[in-house]
Amino acid sequence: MDTPDVMIEATDLQRRFGAKEAVSGISLSARRGEIFGLLGPNGAGKTTTIRMLTGQIDPTSGSARVAGCDVVKQRAQLKERIGVVFEEQNLYDRLSARLNLEFSCWLYGVPRSRVDEVLDLVHLRDRAKDAISKFSNGMKQRVMIARALIHRPQVLFLDEPSRGLDPISAREVRETIERLCQAGTTILLTTHLMEEADQLCQQVAFIVNGKIVANDTPRHLKLAHGQRALSVTLAEADQHGSAPFREMTLSMDTPADQARLAELMASGQVRAMHSKEATLEEVFIEVAGVRPA
Amino acid sequence: MHRRTILAIARKDALDIVLNKSTLMVLLSPILVAVLFAFINGVFASKTDKLLIFNPSGSAVEQVAVDAYQKPEIVRAGSPDEVAAQFGPDGSKKSSDYVLGLVVPADFDTSLRAGGHPQLGLYVNGDQVSNEQRQLLMQAITDYSRSVANPQPPASIALTTINPPKPNSVVQDLGAFYTAAALLMSFMIGTSLVSGLLVEEKEKKTLRMLMVSPASWGDIIASKLLVGLTYQVIFSLVVVGVVKGFYGQVPLLLLFLMLGALFGCAIGLMFGSLLKTQNTSGALVGIVSFLFIIPTFFVGPLGQLLQSNPVAGVMQAFPTYYLAQGIFNTLGSQTTPESLALDVGIVAACIVVLFAGALWMLRRQAAVVSTI
Repeated sequence: MDTPDVMIEATDLQRRFGAKEAVSGISLSARRGEIFGLLGPNGAGKTTTIRMLTGQIDPTSGSARVAGCDVVKQRAQLKERIGVVFEEQNLYDRLSARLNLEFSCWLYGVPRSRVDEVLDLVHLRDRAKDAISKFSNGMKQRVMIARALIHRPQVLFLDEPSRGLDPISAREVRETIERLCQAGTTILLTTHLMEEADQLCQQVAFIVNGKIVANDTPRHLKLAHGQRALSVTLAEADQHGSAPFREMTLSMDTPADQARLAELMASGQVRAMHSKEATLEEVFIEVAGVRPA
Repeated sequence: MHRRTILAIARKDALDIVLNKSTLMVLLSPILVAVLFAFINGVFASKTDKLLIFNPSGSAVEQVAVDAYQKPEIVRAGSPDEVAAQFGPDGSKKSSDYVLGLVVPADFDTSLRAGGHPQLGLYVNGDQVSNEQRQLLMQAITDYSRSVANPQPPASIALTTINPPKPNSVVQDLGAFYTAAALLMSFMIGTSLVSGLLVEEKEKKTLRMLMVSPASWGDIIASKLLVGLTYQVIFSLVVVGVVKGFYGQVPLLLLFLMLGALFGCAIGLMFGSLLKTQNTSGALVGIVSFLFIIPTFFVGPLGQLLQSNPVAGVMQAFPTYYLAQGIFNTLGSQTTPESLALDVGIVAACIVVLFAGALWMLRRQAAVVSTI
């Protein structure tokens, strides 16, 4: 089987729906074992991009290769090499988790023993016999991830995997994604949750109105758009002997602030100190000019 | 098309259908109705039809007469006179246990083959046999005679009718009505299942999952048809069994059962291609189920009563009318080559048109199916 190092490579992908241009010339690439985040507000073109990359719809123009397959010309091979977790929870509610997964085994011609492996991966083996209708949203999401992994795909597409989940379920899903990444699966993740992308992704692209407006590692983006400043928390004793706290911001590039910081450190007043690095959300707002959701 | 993916989806659907209370009801409804019909038929038509037959040479013409009855009880007469005595002269009024009397000459078949014109005695009790049934019975005997010695002239039939029926009396075996009605009603299974299975995949967005799997759009449609048709045929056979409808021209009955199953599935495929929600699908299937049942009232024994009703003419515009007519004819062993060609031809043509229309619609959807 062809296993290239660059697992997702899109060049100038464009998709029109009638007069509306949903995606306008997107280019991106992701390497093996990387989690690539496609971030943007609702309607930015994230899902349309995933649909093109997974062979569900043809691009109006441009080209893309995923897991070594052309997404238009080698669709049959592509389907065998990718897994997709959809934005909506599209499981068969009346069937048990095990039967949902066994159905995927039948579809892909995979031995049924694989079901237990993926159930273990998402920590749901003890609930395998329960009907999906009895599952929480988080458990359903994990079954969908298990289903997408049944045939050991080289590339996994996750469309808003934490949407509608409570914080605990969302954390469980993120932990599952991290385990997959460690196992060497390439993941393309769309989300409007910047914290999630920051935590999971090695590379992110901001997509707004069908165009990528920034594409880099989260670290570089935050450093490039943050302030070179420190937030310092000081403790100042008052007349009653108690110690209220005071916050102040000092620039790392101003000699006066550098001297002031040294003075405060020497006085022992500094209780905490943080760099004023931008959050990914702040970078997004600055770059895209809109909020992510 | 890929056998593995078609069978995978079909297997999943077959299982899902029995776990779904609403589809389970769709499957069981025709059987419950059939049980009800069988009960009613048992209560109101529990007696058997007694036939008094004198047939010393064992001619197969006897079977032609026997096949016209659902519950025939054959009593052997020792002589032609015994049969004549039980019925009496033509046009007379007489209480008789027998529905039909038959006197077959000893050399009946041999004489036919030799080009002779043997006379067969047919005695009919008009209390229990309608004019139409009597005529069709005579036609069936004539056809048999032709089959023995074609193209020689057939046997002549000496007809004796006691208790002559009124022109439009309905005294026929209601078992045929119940069988036809239950069978026609069962054809909604295919419509409901094929439509429901396709629409549910769209509505619950599971179609998107299937479209990124190795299954093609064609595989998905083929699997739905396979499941719908399989359940349809199995449950229609059960329905006919419940109403004890395996009599008359059974091979032709099975032919109409298959045509009805295909017709039901073709309508289901059409609905499945057009609709996106299960509510609308369910409502339309409900309406269509009437079109399966209503023609039953305009063919067969009840059809004689409603011949002058203008609705009867309208009914002939529906293919289900010809399905009902074909089933009635097979149950009464009254199918002729002409009637078979008409009924099968119209139903088969409609099936082809429906499938072609549905597939055209579905091919148009193929390009955008993953966005539905």
